[in-house]
Amino acid sequence: MASPVKAVIVALFLVLGGSPAAWGAVGCDLNDPDRDVARLFPGSSGYKTTYVSIDRKGGEALLAKVETKLGDKFHGLYETIDVPYTIYEILGNKKKVGYIHGVNQKGQFGGIQVFLALDLEGTIKAFYIQKMTSQHAGKLRDAKFGRQFIGLNLKDFESYDVVSGKASGKVEGINNPAPEAESDFRAALRATKKNLVLMDEFVYLPQAASSPGGSQKQ
Amino acid sequence: MTSKILLTCLFFLCLAGMGRAADHLLYFEAQGIAGYSSQLAKPIYYSQNPDAEMQKPSLGFDYLQRFSGETGDWASFALQGRLALTVDGTEGSNEVKVEPQIYNAYMKFKTPEPYVWVGHNRPAFGLSSYLDSHSHVLRTLAIQGFGYDRDWGVGLYKDFSWGDIAATATTGSGMPVYFKGNYMTAARASYGVLSQDNFNMGFSLGYGETLETMGYKLINSEPRLMKLAGLDLAFLHNYFEHRFEALAGRWFGEETYAFLYRFGVNLSREGRLKIEAQPTYWKTSGTENYQLSFCISALATSDLTVRLAYTYDHNTYDNQVVLQLYYYRKM
Repeated sequence: MASPVKAVIVALFLVLGGSPAAWGAVGCDLNDPDRDVARLFPGSSGYKTTYVSIDRKGGEALLAKVETKLGDKFHGLYETIDVPYTIYEILGNKKKVGYIHGVNQKGQFGGIQVFLALDLEGTIKAFYIQKMTSQHAGKLRDAKFGRQFIGLNLKDFESYDVVSGKASGKVEGINNPAPEAESDFRAALRATKKNLVLMDEFVYLPQAASSPGGSQKQ
Repeated sequence: MTSKILLTCLFFLCLAGMGRAADHLLYFEAQGIAGYSSQLAKPIYYSQNPDAEMQKPSLGFDYLQRFSGETGDWASFALQGRLALTVDGTEGSNEVKVEPQIYNAYMKFKTPEPYVWVGHNRPAFGLSSYLDSHSHVLRTLAIQGFGYDRDWGVGLYKDFSWGDIAATATTGSGMPVYFKGNYMTAARASYGVLSQDNFNMGFSLGYGETLETMGYKLINSEPRLMKLAGLDLAFLHNYFEHRFEALAGRWFGEETYAFLYRFGVNLSREGRLKIEAQPTYWKTSGTENYQLSFCISALATSDLTVRLAYTYDHNTYDNQVVLQLYYYRKM
């Protein structure tokens, strides 16, 4: 075999062998941010896109914290420590008015993408399922289903058990419009809680800690 | 020289990636590919043709930088390059060379209406205008040679709730840049948003005087007429993916028809395992041909994809099998 061929194969081997876990990253972006931001945040004037990952923000310690708050381990392709989460900081007349953030979640027929529009306190203003290839996707994407999430926050989702699917309080009141797609419904709820937990750790808690006289919410 | 520029770019991008700034993404890419061709009766180290840009053993990077100000995002910059190893055994003994390749290399600006890009990006024609195949083994019609997967020039696009429209004016040379009176204009309008509606149907028109290139190799230095109309369709349903593409008109001055249908089945809930089958037919310069391809893709980890593909080419009776290891990791 020619030496350049060997060189590339050796380089490939070193790269693959040299990476400790070889776990990587699947991001979650809005399909068309201009259109989607205007729809999810009426009255906004622009947005700023940033990327955050657990490995850069706090590493294994942060991952453990996120898993504890979620009530489940991170696993699979969509929940590796280096996933680059895309956060859209929403602006209104040059002032920050909220955020849009999406996560990937394992669904019944492949990955689904759940986006939340959040105000500055972390309360859901809009819920939006972007990707879902299930034949029942129409019902779960329907605005009527999404409206059930408006006004909820992480506090409401704390009692939701993402493993058993047991809910109480306001989350218990969220109706599944497609009983035949129960696993996708539960995936959407898990994604919502994961989304809120991540935003709390990435944005809201650091903001509270850095604000004058501020303290963490929990 | 180009290799040094590519390596220098990678070095500085690595430095950028080490910071905590969160306005950019940097990925490392590596792939190994090896297979067998019954026509050549020997091992091969490419998926299509030694002169074509896709796919070869390579090391590369993928970089995306966002620019924003007081009023929000206003532009983004994308740069994607590889050092690819070409092992050409079509003329007997293997000739080996290392070739730098540039895929995405553009600035994209946000305007009050459409996005506008300048650089090396996708022409607004057919499936390749939105389906990123730069790591794939199966070929769209553009990669098959009926168009360019990337071309140098300018473009604009705008998304609507019902679909999108795009238009491009490019050099009509593909990977290399030549100014020999060559140019290509293309426009595509589509209905449906694939990530929301699970379908997208597009209609494309292209006109120009284009150069016949394969990868960075100039096959014919005389620009020839391109006048094509195209139709493409993507449809996702539960585990199944359907993609269809057709074009008709004149390509390199010759009457041309080409069709492609790709059927995919996702066999796991995370999309870890996927099987695809693809027949492709074309007739150009009065000569017909068809290919049958099958591909199994498995995500060994979220960074490493293993693909095993088989392609039968009717005119050459070639049975080609290739194994690809594709590694893509955030830095």
